[in-house]
Amino acid sequence: MEKIATICVYCGCGCGLVLHVEDGRVVGASPSPAHPVSRGRLCVKGWLAADFVHHPDRLKTPLVRRGERMARVSWDEALSLSARRLREIREESGPDSLAILTSAKGTNEENYLLAKLARAALGTNNVDHVARLCHAPSVAGLGIALGSGAMTNPIRSLLSSDAILVTGSNTTEQHPLVAATILEAQARGATLIVADPRRTQMAELADIHLAPRLGTDVAWTNGMLNLIIGRGLIDEDFINERTEGFSALKELALRYTPAAVERITGIPPGDLEKAAAAFGEAPRAGVVYAMGTTQHSSGTDNVLALANLVLATGNVGRDGTGIYPLRGHQNVQGACDMGALPIFYSGYQKVEDPAARRKMEAAWGTDLPATPGLTAVEMMEAAEEGRIRGMIISGENPMISYPDRGQVIRALRSLDFLAVADIFPTETTALADVVLPVASFAEKDGTFTSTERRIQRVRRAVTPPGEARPEVEVAAELLRRFSVTADYASPEEVMGEISSVTPSYGGVSSRRLGISGLSWPCPSPDHPGTEILHQGSFPIGRARFYVVEQQHLPEDLDYPLFLTTGRSLFHFHTGTMTRRTHLLDRERPKATVDINPADAAALGVRSGTMVVVESATGSLEIEARLTAEVPMGTVYIPFHFAEAPANQLTTRTLDPTSKIPGLKRTPVRIRRADG
Amino acid sequence: MTSTTALFISREDLIHLLEELSGTLEVVAPVLVGDEAAFATWRGEALALDDKNPLASPVEFFLPKKEVLFRYVQYSGRYTFSEDPPKARLIFGMRPCDLLALKVIDGIFGADLSDLPYAGRRRSTIIVALNCTSPGEGCFCRSMGSGPVAEGGYDLLLTDLGRGYLVEAGSPAGVYILRAHHRHFEEADIEDIKEKERLLALAGEKMIKRGPFPNPEKIREAIDGADWEEAGRRCLACGGCSFVCPVCHCFSVLDQGVPDGERLRCRDSCILSGFSRMTSGANPRPDPGERLRHWYLDKFVYIPEKTGLFGCVGCGRCSRVCLGEADRWSFFREATE
Amino acid sequence: MKIDRSKMGTDTLDGFGGDRIVRAAPAKPESYIPFQAEVVDIDVESSNTYLLSLRPMNEEDEHVAINYFPGQFLMVSVFGLGECPISIASSPTRDPLQICVREAGKITQGIMAARIGDVLGIRGPFGNGFPVGSMRGENVLIAGGGSGFATLRSLINYIADDREKFKEVTVVYGARTPQDLYFTTEYGSWQAAEIEVGITVDMIDATWKGNVGLVTSLLADLDPAPGASALCGPPMMIRVVAKDLLGRGFLEEDIHISLERHMKCGVGKCEHCTMGRYHVCTDGPIFSYDVVGDLI
Ligand SMILES: Cc1cc2nc3c(=O)[nH]c(=O)nc-3n(C[C@H](O)[C@H](O)[C@H](O)COP(=O)(O)OP(=O)(O)OC[C@H]3O[C@@H](n4cnc5c(N)ncnc54)[C@H](O)[C@@H]3O)c2cc1C
Ligand code: SF4
Ligand code: SF4
Ligand code: SF4
Ligand code: FES
Repeated sequence: MEKIATICVYCGCGCGLVLHVEDGRVVGASPSPAHPVSRGRLCVKGWLAADFVHHPDRLKTPLVRRGERMARVSWDEALSLSARRLREIREESGPDSLAILTSAKGTNEENYLLAKLARAALGTNNVDHVARLCHAPSVAGLGIALGSGAMTNPIRSLLSSDAILVTGSNTTEQHPLVAATILEAQARGATLIVADPRRTQMAELADIHLAPRLGTDVAWTNGMLNLIIGRGLIDEDFINERTEGFSALKELALRYTPAAVERITGIPPGDLEKAAAAFGEAPRAGVVYAMGTTQHSSGTDNVLALANLVLATGNVGRDGTGIYPLRGHQNVQGACDMGALPIFYSGYQKVEDPAARRKMEAAWGTDLPATPGLTAVEMMEAAEEGRIRGMIISGENPMISYPDRGQVIRALRSLDFLAVADIFPTETTALADVVLPVASFAEKDGTFTSTERRIQRVRRAVTPPGEARPEVEVAAELLRRFSVTADYASPEEVMGEISSVTPSYGGVSSRRLGISGLSWPCPSPDHPGTEILHQGSFPIGRARFYVVEQQHLPEDLDYPLFLTTGRSLFHFHTGTMTRRTHLLDRERPKATVDINPADAAALGVRSGTMVVVESATGSLEIEARLTAEVPMGTVYIPFHFAEAPANQLTTRTLDPTSKIPGLKRTPVRIRRADG
Repeated sequence: MTSTTALFISREDLIHLLEELSGTLEVVAPVLVGDEAAFATWRGEALALDDKNPLASPVEFFLPKKEVLFRYVQYSGRYTFSEDPPKARLIFGMRPCDLLALKVIDGIFGADLSDLPYAGRRRSTIIVALNCTSPGEGCFCRSMGSGPVAEGGYDLLLTDLGRGYLVEAGSPAGVYILRAHHRHFEEADIEDIKEKERLLALAGEKMIKRGPFPNPEKIREAIDGADWEEAGRRCLACGGCSFVCPVCHCFSVLDQGVPDGERLRCRDSCILSGFSRMTSGANPRPDPGERLRHWYLDKFVYIPEKTGLFGCVGCGRCSRVCLGEADRWSFFREATE
Repeated sequence: MKIDRSKMGTDTLDGFGGDRIVRAAPAKPESYIPFQAEVVDIDVESSNTYLLSLRPMNEEDEHVAINYFPGQFLMVSVFGLGECPISIASSPTRDPLQICVREAGKITQGIMAARIGDVLGIRGPFGNGFPVGSMRGENVLIAGGGSGFATLRSLINYIADDREKFKEVTVVYGARTPQDLYFTTEYGSWQAAEIEVGITVDMIDATWKGNVGLVTSLLADLDPAPGASALCGPPMMIRVVAKDLLGRGFLEEDIHISLERHMKCGVGKCEHCTMGRYHVCTDGPIFSYDVVGDLI
């Protein structure tokens, strides 16, 4: 039996785990005791991380559409066909008729090469990935406020906090190792404040639980600020020395009195006061948030409001402080870092910046497009309208994960050419012209960058099934077919190129990455990495306060309830891996809609009743589950289940700044399926 | 040379011995994986024996986390089946707590309707145990009567004397190895044996502060009196406590592949809510607290009834992996105070 | 091995009884590999319930088809879908071996998709079975609800084939609707064997002329005399009937309940079926009320 230390494939915590390999098969996983995040512990998905690897459904040979059938072909044929079709479309309709969706499941090296493929080979900046649906508001909001959209401190830093505010994060289910760290901090004396409309396990364990109405985050955050200012708990030195724009913010906060906030959010003033006091008085306080904050049409505003709170109390740049946007996928951070975004090269170098462009053109030996590309959701619109005709989707299943499923189907169907690389057949591979079987995390080398900016090594434990290949090889093959030099002997060499063009990864090399990895920025080979950002200064000089107002929330009498979607502990994303993991699928075998018992009584619905959930965009038949975890007026559906795709119901109302869709607050109505 | 005499082996000779044994057996030993010791096939790398007992117990070489029970091949509607024979293995460096855990599992998997895959591996594996001269932080094996000194269940037993190891045989297979590889050993002198006793007494003393042998009655009372609802509220359902416990053995069975494929058995955890949920949706143990209570009852009441041994050997692993920051053993400390 | 049928039935079962938790030896204790049995007949009991007759493919496994007790169960495999516990619905006194399967999920669907001539995997028989030895010479009350009636049918036919050994025998059975009643064609033969049969349903349709309501209402009508009893059905029904029987003077240790739990191995190893200190697969599935009264 061999044991190989690697990184968990599921969430952004980036836990270190050890794969147990017997006769060329992964037979188990256990936590890595020396790893700085997992420290010998894992969540249930981590313990079972390798269970899907040898599932018989794995894609094993390249497939090409021949009419209604998919035919097995050689890699050479599949890749040459893909290159030819993409080239034809480019000749007819120009490079911006092509697009690539990369995957937050892929390694940094894969994301880098796919972004390079889009820019250097296809000649378009139309490259994006799933982070658009998670943390674009963080990148946008924290980017303008602090100068970097990343988590400011490592997860461990929370152990030194005196108060922790958790909002929009079902942490115990979605980032279990962060939750474990927070609970450890609480056991050491930190005050835990949870703001969440649902009574999650985290809320249950909190010292103070605020239960705001859906979509009122700006209001209660401003309200906390109001109280913190009123009690003189702001950090004036910090504000004077390191920030700008506070006076305008102060004016704004004055209007968010506890009474006003209660009217909007439903939070009793007493609770808000307790939370403000605990947060304001703490010598070290941190704010932890996730998709419940960002996946709103006001996502960027929500993030800015939280940034204001952290800055006003001087909680940046020290151990135990900071703002922690929890990344969903294990490598969303890395995919962003690698420039799998329509406006950035790797390391957030703007494609519009001529200097950056010239540098990349020199490095890649080709001309590069100057205009920013389309975001993932914009790509779908463009595809539906025929402006995008050819697409490569890597390890993504937009049929389930994107909002407004009906439109995604129409968009993908309208494409003239679609190539999909994945490890399992999905609803999306079913629409592809070419399907490319790729290696899973246990079958490839490379790096992932966790939510705390920790660049860590992923190691190959077993060989891919059948003819499946690591995507680094696939991307390099495609690059060569577009006459772009791509002679990488190994993923390490790709990392070599990444560090040469990416300042924040400048000192990163596979050799340097031990069990603890390295946190970026790490500009040079002798730099130890940066665990805590913004210690002396901000990348933008001074941090900025932004005045953000609570949006008016339109009510729709036809759709009196609000649907919020999310993940369950036992599944990940669209479930392609977790639903093929025996124990995880057993834990949550089917989708249910969670309804508050009071709402359910009014609808005549019991646990187990089949109901129809309808929104303006679609409808869904699903089993009801009664639980006080959701407040009255709100219903909740996890989105992993292909047979009950929650995103059939969601809208594409976009956040104006970051263009994230408002997945967390869709007006719906519910009726019994039989009546 | 007789088996009753204790022998001595130097550190260098130990490596030579393992090299020789690797020729005929798969030698499994603690080696460094990701900066920590873990049991894996030994290929000549440095042994990581000084570290604490690896988090993943070597019991997995008897009850793997996942194994193929059998393969089925369909031919015109009829099936033929095949099983893999157990591997010939030697596990080097197994600690007393894990040895006792095997004995408990023997009482369950070897009892009446015996479990063939387990029994096969048990027969084909040679165990070279290692006494614990420096017990880990969370270990309480002494309270559970499993360590720090191994009492039987091994083929060979080693004690680290610093300059080398004292070696004792505990089975005919052990004696056979000593004979076949005699040139690596020398006769131990009386000083060596005294040194062993001194070291082990020292190790035992270190642990005596962690509570005496528990009284089953008192444990039962403590389990009945504990606040399981609160414990359940803090449980993050990672399943880790049972995945890591060397005594926990529950499993699930699934088929993969049509028409040909494999019937797999994989580790399961009674802490997970789906474990006992029935097709109807009814769940005999619906809350996390009830499941935790059952976990302890099984270890301290039901398993002892069946096997005469506690279902916990005090290795401390469940506390190391617990995500919920629950003080898993507070009730137990009260019971043993 | 050829089985001498004359040796079966009452003689073999005589040693049984007394000890309430008895482990019966399964066919192949040492292996998780099932033997294969051919589906030789299929009958439809209700829209979602089929009765399958099975014949072991190999002679050496044939003894399983007769060497079992009413109340025992088999682990039935559909290769590729998995294995699940299914009670034996036939009586060891009659050919062939039968199981009655109700659609619940993927494995049961797989079993029901089998056609005549197809092969299923079988391990077992497992579990203790009803203590027929101790029921002999007693009044026997058999109460079933819903799909739990399959295992009781085994016991009823067993008693019918050896009727004179038992005193008064009463069967009460309730289902949701008349269409959900199993074994309707056999009630006549039971009555012919002087077994009192009471049937009731929850919801009626135009064709139904029988009783409506709970099985307890049948008990009130039939007023069975105290003796041994065998119960199988939904937990609610079990609790209500057991209470009723205790009120009628039945002793706790004479109320035998067939329990259902999630099961994976059938041999007391996987721990899925634990109920307190008991394994339902090996210590049960039949438990007497004095043992499990507070656990159900
Ligand atoms: C002693 C006993 C006797 C039974 N007798 C009969 C019978 O005669 N006729 C009949 O139709 N049904 C019987 N059942 C119930 C039957 O075993 C379940 O309906 C069946 O397991 C459902 O499996 P499934 O895959 O069809 O359903 P699913 O709900 O799809 O099951 C999902 C998974 O859970 C597991 N699972 C769920 N519930 C159980 C369970 N109770 N036991 C084992 N595994 C489970 C299955 O293995 C499967 O992998 C009996 C159960 C027991 C314990
Ligand atoms: S917390 Fe996240 S990274 Fe850690 S084991 Fe669980 S899914 Fe994997
Ligand atoms: S219960 Fe905990 S301490 Fe006891 S043997 Fe299991 S893992 Fe070790
Ligand atoms: S290890 Fe702790 S958190 Fe995990 S299942 Fe066990 S008790 Fe729960
Ligand atoms: S079914 Fe496995 S222990 Fe009972």
